[in-house]
Amino acid sequence: MRWSNTGAGLAFVALCCALGVLIATPQEDSAAGSQAVSSGTPPTESQKRTPEFFVMIDPSHGGNDKGAMFSGKLVEKDITLRLAREVRKELEERGIEVRLLRESDIDVSLDRRAEITNEQRAGIYIALHAGRPGKGVRVYTPLLTDAQQAQAGRFLPWETAQSVALSRSQNVAHAVSEELKKKGLTVANLGLPLRPLNNIAAPAIAVELAPDENDAQPLEGQKRQNAVATAIALGIVQIRSQAGARQ
Amino acid sequence: MIPRHFQITIALVLLAILISGIVIIRMTHKEEALTLQAAEVAPAAPMVGGKQEHIQLLLAYDEDQALRWRPADVFLPADRNLRARETLRSVLAQYLQMPSPHPLAKGADIKDVYFISDDTMIVDTTAQFADGHPSGILLEELTLASLIETLTANVPGITKVKFLVDGKERETLAGHADLMSFYQTAAVHELAKEFE
Repeated sequence: MRWSNTGAGLAFVALCCALGVLIATPQEDSAAGSQAVSSGTPPTESQKRTPEFFVMIDPSHGGNDKGAMFSGKLVEKDITLRLAREVRKELEERGIEVRLLRESDIDVSLDRRAEITNEQRAGIYIALHAGRPGKGVRVYTPLLTDAQQAQAGRFLPWETAQSVALSRSQNVAHAVSEELKKKGLTVANLGLPLRPLNNIAAPAIAVELAPDENDAQPLEGQKRQNAVATAIALGIVQIRSQAGARQ
Repeated sequence: MIPRHFQITIALVLLAILISGIVIIRMTHKEEALTLQAAEVAPAAPMVGGKQEHIQLLLAYDEDQALRWRPADVFLPADRNLRARETLRSVLAQYLQMPSPHPLAKGADIKDVYFISDDTMIVDTTAQFADGHPSGILLEELTLASLIETLTANVPGITKVKFLVDGKERETLAGHADLMSFYQTAAVHELAKEFE
């Protein structure tokens, strides 16, 4: 009896020591992040089967990666998630299947975002961002040099996987931009070497909302988010026939 | 029933663990604060001599989302590595002064530059350059475009540039601009033209 009590006591001390070491040791963010991805986003039944065509919406940032900071407690990762849900609603209402790269506040690395999109063979990929400076909406397409575009072949280099879809990405960006302009929003189009766009082997664009201090509709305002989400959905509906090679 | 002396031992061990944990955490924080403070005050690289030259810097202006060429008198050594480093540092110096057209965090600096071939350069920046950089696609891309364009305008023959942060690779500058890939200076030149 006394021995078992002593054993239990020793085990308790060992447990406390381990706890003490854990408290004193700084945690690795990346390790925590990858754990969140693997346990946080198990594929659902609908995700296991590959549909003919679906749009991958990427609410950028998440978890420890807050993205841009705005007034008050407003952070980019929350704005992008809210907008992503809005875009999903608008697309589903128009009969287009949508998947979100994150549904909650978790860390997902840029490479992992591209991996998931490529593995699931998305028809179109759209990354959502929010950031200063300026006003309105900026629509970004991937930027590859002529030499990088020439690398397109059966096996795609990771850094230039976008080379097979660059012209279709530009078409998607054009269609979305036109719809945004119709909603009365200021739109700027830019080509940038932005990750993970260059790693995605499907039409890929990024849409960034810019806060406008003079705008009556704030960045997180429902009306503005609705307008942007509807424009993105209408742009995709228009382009679907061109972009959906597997449709 | 656990003997009394054993209970006292466990209590003492737990107390020792707790105290040592607190001491370690405090020491770590103090050391980090001292390191940051020292890094902010000390220059990342020694000053160099050289001939004063009248060069052009491509500077970012956040207010109107533009890049503009501005003249500057900078001491540039003949050595290609040092010339490249001082050129980049002169751009950052413009952003660190008040008022700044494109504010960067205190301590943002170039630690060193390395040519890994005749046309490929690695730029090693301080941790503060990335850690304190405002997050946003445009803000980050303007910084990189400004540095790369100024570099290629004043140090001929560079076709590829890659950025490190405190000697290590980093995925992005502040959540957006890619720091893993080599930037093709020709592509950056095309991009910069859109903002000029």
